Amino acid sequence: MSVGTLDRAASLNHWRHRALAEKALIGFGFLTLALVLPPWPGAVLVSLAILAFTFLGARVPLRLWLATAALPLGFLATGALMLVVEVGAGGLAWAPGGLTQAAELVARAMAATFCLMFLVMTTPMADLFGGLRRLAVPAELVELALLTYRFVFLIADEAAAMTAAQRARLGHSSRRRWLRSTARVIANLLPRALARARRMETGLAARGWQGEMRVLSPHVPACGRMLALVLTVQAAVLLAAVAMVVMW
Amino acid sequence: MHIMEGFLPASHALGWYAVSAPFVLAGAARIRTIVREQPEARLTLAASGAFAFVLSALKIPSVTGSCSHPTGTGLGAIVFGPSVMAVLGVIVLLFQALLLAHGGLTTLGANAFSMAIVGPWVAYGVWKLAGVAGLPFAVSVFLAAALGDLATYVFTSLQLALAYPDPVSGFVGAALKFGGIFAITQIPLAIAEGLLTVVVIEALSGKIRDEDRISALSGGNK
Repeated sequence: MSVGTLDRAASLNHWRHRALAEKALIGFGFLTLALVLPPWPGAVLVSLAILAFTFLGARVPLRLWLATAALPLGFLATGALMLVVEVGAGGLAWAPGGLTQAAELVARAMAATFCLMFLVMTTPMADLFGGLRRLAVPAELVELALLTYRFVFLIADEAAAMTAAQRARLGHSSRRRWLRSTARVIANLLPRALARARRMETGLAARGWQGEMRVLSPHVPACGRMLALVLTVQAAVLLAAVAMVVMW
Repeated sequence: MHIMEGFLPASHALGWYAVSAPFVLAGAARIRTIVREQPEARLTLAASGAFAFVLSALKIPSVTGSCSHPTGTGLGAIVFGPSVMAVLGVIVLLFQALLLAHGGLTTLGANAFSMAIVGPWVAYGVWKLAGVAGLPFAVSVFLAAALGDLATYVFTSLQLALAYPDPVSGFVGAALKFGGIFAITQIPLAIAEGLLTVVVIEALSGKIRDEDRISALSGGNK
C-alpha cells in the first residue's frame, strides 16, 4: 500500500461529498463510544454500527478495507496474547481471567480501529484540516499541516522513483545493499525536499503570498436527517449498552 | 512502534495527551515565532515534516527476515533538534494515522510521548554526550539513532504495562512481557536504523548547502 492509496480511496469514495460534520459525527462519535462504554456489549454494538456505515453507507471497497486492517490487527494479536499469560515466580503461566480481559481489549481496539478507518476512507485529509480551521486551532499550524500534506505526495513520488531505479539496478539484491540504497534515498531526498521548498517559496513570494493557503472547496451543508439518524443510532447503542450492563 | 487505535483505556489515552501537551505546545509556540519572524521557514518546515513522514514509510531490511520501517527519530533529532522534532513528530504521527490508518487518534498522545519526545531527546542527549566524550563521528551517530529507537520501544512497553499490569507480578512483569515480545522486532530495527542513519548523515554532510536554514529551525542563528 503506497502513501497515496487511502487518500485516493477517500477522494473517490461514495460519501466524498457528504458534509464533513456528518462524517466527523459518525467517526468521532462512535470512536468516543467505543472507548467510553464497557467493551461488552458496547464495543460490539459500535463495531456493528460503524461497519454498517462503512459498507452500506459509504460503500468502502472490502479488499482495500481488509488490507488496511491487517497491520493494526497484527499488533493487536501480539498485544492481546500478552494478557492471556502471566509472569510469576515459576515463569510464564496462563492467567486466570486473562482470556476475558484479552477479549475485551480486542473488542474495544477493533471497534476503535474501525471508526478510524471509516474516517480515513471517506474523508480526505485536506477536508479534515479545513474543519480544524473552523475550530480554535491556530491558523499557522493548520496552514503548516496543509502545506505538509501537499508536500507529502510530491516527496513520496520522488522516493518511489528513486527506489524503483535502485531496484532495477540490483540495489536491493542483498541486505547490506538494500540498507545502503535506502540510506542514499534518504540522503538525496532531504536536500531535494528543501530545494523544492525554496523554489516554491520564491514562486509564491513573487505572487505576493501572505502565508495563507485558501483553496476552493465546495461547501456542503449538513443534512439534518442524516445527523438525526446518526444521533439516533448512537443514542440507541448507548442505551442498549447501558441496559445490558445493568441487567447483568 | 505505534500503539494502535483503541488499545489504551480512555483514562490512559487522556493522561498521555495531558503529558505530551506541554512539549507539543512549547514546540508549536516556537514554530509560530519562527514562522512570524521568518515567513520563508514555513515551507522549509512543511517540506521537513513531509520528508520525515515519507522516510517513515520507506522499507528497510530487518534481521528477523521481514522488512521494517525506519522511524527517523535519531536523524530528526540530530538534524532539526529535539524541540522542533516534537512538533514534526506529532505531524508525522497524525499523517500516519490519517493516511495509513497506522497508530491512532486516541493513542496519539501516548505515541507522541514515546516517539516524538522520549526518542528524540534520548537520541539528542546521546549525540551530545558522545560528542563530549570524543567518540568517532560514525559511532556517535550510530549510538544516537539506535539508542533513540530503543528508548522509544522501551517506553512504549512501559506505557502498555501501565495500562495492562500483570495479575501476578504487576507493572514490572507486564513491562517484561511486552518488552520481551516486541524485542524480537524492535532490537534488530534499532540496529538497522543506527547503521542507516550513519550512512545518511555521512552522505548528507558533504551534500547539504542548506545548513543555515536547518539551523534556523533548530533555534540557531540565521
